[in-house]
Amino acid sequence: MPKRIAVITTVYRYLTHAQHEVDRILVGYPHNGQWHRPDMKVVSLYVDQKPEGDLSAARTSEFGFQVYPSIAAALRCGGDKLAVDAIMIVGEHGDYPRNEKGQILYPRYEWFKQCVEVFEKDGRAVPVFNDKNLSYSFAKAKWMVETAKRLGFPVLAGSSLPVTWRLPDIELPLGCEIEEALMVGEGESDAMDYHALEALQCMVERRKGGETGIKAVQLVENDEVWNAGDAGRWSKELLTAALSRSDTPQGMTVTDGRTQDLVHNGELPRLVKNPWAYFIEYADGLKATLLMLTGAVTDFNFAARVKGSGIQSTQFLLTPEPNVTYSACLIGKVEEMFATRKAPYPAERTLIVSGILESCLTSRVQNHQRLETPHVKVQYQAPVQSQHCRT
Amino acid sequence: MGATAAAPFAQKAAGRPKLAAICTIYFRMSHAQHIVDRFLDGYGWNGTHHHPPMDLVSLYVDQIGKDDLSRERAARHPEMKMYPTIAEALTLGGTKLAVDGVVLVGEHGHYPRNDRGQTQYPRYEFFQQITQVFRESGRPVPVFSDKHLSWNWDWAKEMYQTARSMDFALMAGSSLPVTWRTPSLEMPWGAKIREALCVCYGGVDSYDFHGLETIQCMVERRRGGETGVKWVQAYRGDNFWKAYQESAWPHDLMEAALCRSHTLTPARPGFNDVFPALDDMRRLVQDPVAYCYEHEDGLKCTMLLMSGLVKDFNFAARLEGRREPFSTQMYLPMPDGRTTLANFFSPLVNNMEQMFLTRKPTYPVERTLLTTGLTAAGVESLYRKQERFETPHLGIRYQPSKESTFWRT
Repeated sequence: MPKRIAVITTVYRYLTHAQHEVDRILVGYPHNGQWHRPDMKVVSLYVDQKPEGDLSAARTSEFGFQVYPSIAAALRCGGDKLAVDAIMIVGEHGDYPRNEKGQILYPRYEWFKQCVEVFEKDGRAVPVFNDKNLSYSFAKAKWMVETAKRLGFPVLAGSSLPVTWRLPDIELPLGCEIEEALMVGEGESDAMDYHALEALQCMVERRKGGETGIKAVQLVENDEVWNAGDAGRWSKELLTAALSRSDTPQGMTVTDGRTQDLVHNGELPRLVKNPWAYFIEYADGLKATLLMLTGAVTDFNFAARVKGSGIQSTQFLLTPEPNVTYSACLIGKVEEMFATRKAPYPAERTLIVSGILESCLTSRVQNHQRLETPHVKVQYQAPVQSQHCRT
Repeated sequence: MGATAAAPFAQKAAGRPKLAAICTIYFRMSHAQHIVDRFLDGYGWNGTHHHPPMDLVSLYVDQIGKDDLSRERAARHPEMKMYPTIAEALTLGGTKLAVDGVVLVGEHGHYPRNDRGQTQYPRYEFFQQITQVFRESGRPVPVFSDKHLSWNWDWAKEMYQTARSMDFALMAGSSLPVTWRTPSLEMPWGAKIREALCVCYGGVDSYDFHGLETIQCMVERRRGGETGVKWVQAYRGDNFWKAYQESAWPHDLMEAALCRSHTLTPARPGFNDVFPALDDMRRLVQDPVAYCYEHEDGLKCTMLLMSGLVKDFNFAARLEGRREPFSTQMYLPMPDGRTTLANFFSPLVNNMEQMFLTRKPTYPVERTLLTTGLTAAGVESLYRKQERFETPHLGIRYQPSKESTFWRT
């Protein structure tokens, strides 16, 4: 019997997360060199917003499932008991307000809570996939992870970045000693910085001793970013390594095709009008930096200095629209969890990223101060096996 | 000092090799721009911005158009001088060969097309002028020739034989064999390959060569090494679909290759990634082209140009002792909107550097000789109304090195 899936989503339009993720359950997806048709059936859908271009009606009629007016009804398929084997919460895209820190208030926590209410009332819990960040709020995200633990159901969370292809295909050895790490991303907060932080986290969590939590963060902007580089607060050598992996330098590369050493040719301050640096101090002393360099590149690249093996660097390959095959890598993991009831990587990764991001954005609105973050004491061990797409 | 005496023309111990670049044209996104720029401005490599340990000191450009960039490059890099002839570029305006290596980039530019649709890029003519200088100077130096050796098989063979008889390192070909792969897989050394296939895109006498290189860099690793090709059969248009339905190539390998694509055109509106049915493919691919061919040892291969369906190069093979097809994509970060830098030229330039430093090719030019012949044979089969074209002249046997040369660091 195929697994019965309920989908809870904000909006189901072309190229939204819901469309490209849920459609993979409906029509299959490329996986290990084959067109994989999952042994899963979407049986119910709750969709919060139906703007122009909504595809939910077309999908329900073609694939034989129903839209329900509430989350509880979707989970019970209109009956009075939980009637699905697993839930996908895809709370990305759609029209939602932002808070004073610029975070989009997607109702993932609220929806997760409604799922939990059904689990508790009906005396049964099923695996939940929560796309992207657990919540804009660390406190809410923490409740989600703790509640799943308490009720004993697996949660897989996060985006495609940790599971997509890497160029080169490297993995940091489990238990390695990382001396310093740096991530380069681009795009708007709090959508794209989340992705960049998650990419960073899935690499550094493999260090010796495992993840220990965050001691403090600080977000600085504009000239302070470059000044911090001059002062050695982030490593230009690591930035050079990260940018050496980029396929998308802007400026003169766009103008006449030339290659550029952006760290040393003086172009970065000209290209990046509003750089942000996210300084992360981990509890075990590791220091990591995310540089959001919108205007310099349009891809996501990582570099770290690893004791005994020098600088390791890679690009997290975001394959092009419309296929966005990276989301097939993610759905492969979702399917794995639904089948085994075990998350292939811990939701604590997403939880700690939620804490880093929220704290950094708080630092930004509090005069870019360094903030102690004893509450982000998220400890976990990285999966032993690599989880990114490499087969 | 003894080493210098023993090899009087080798680079001086402390010196950096000097290179000449001989190009057809130099505009934004031309092969010359991608390749020569990497010598001049460096490129991202192994986690740093790498500057090749050699100096590109002279440049010949055959066609200077309105969008020419060579003069800007020469002005910004005064160590590189432009010369009006190939001979002067190689002698740096003197009488004797004055460089330690030659980069020949005969792609792009305005050159006539023949009745077979082949663009007559003057790679052979340039090569002749280069080797003339070698002869007159009494010493040859390594040459890299971009893409296929020549549109003309006889000329390609002559180029190969000239390099052999004059005893200089010659390396050629495209980026496909050396670029990233997703997944990052190598064909197992000595594999028994039953059948191999590539699904890619582009036109005849251009991207077909890249598709053939994609296949050849994998199948040459099979047990017994390369044995050459007996015949080539091209299919185009309706004949392509007829051949498909008659299983002229295996459908499961085609499906496996398509499942490695990152650019599958959605067969249905509103869906972003859906596997195409036969009718979808017929609708999406206006001008499909297939080259089916058989190697001397019986291996059958197929190169499929399916513009409209994909925009990448995907390989699949059936291996003995393995139930599922072996498949990967030769990933080109293509600057057609997806990227800004054609970084697949980086591993190509890096392989050139190694040859210029060691005077030894990192992969055999026989591969390119064979893919050059296959490209011309495919064109010939199409020209002869898609009849099977016997290729006894492609009995090219070689053994590649076991070590992988594609990009993975």
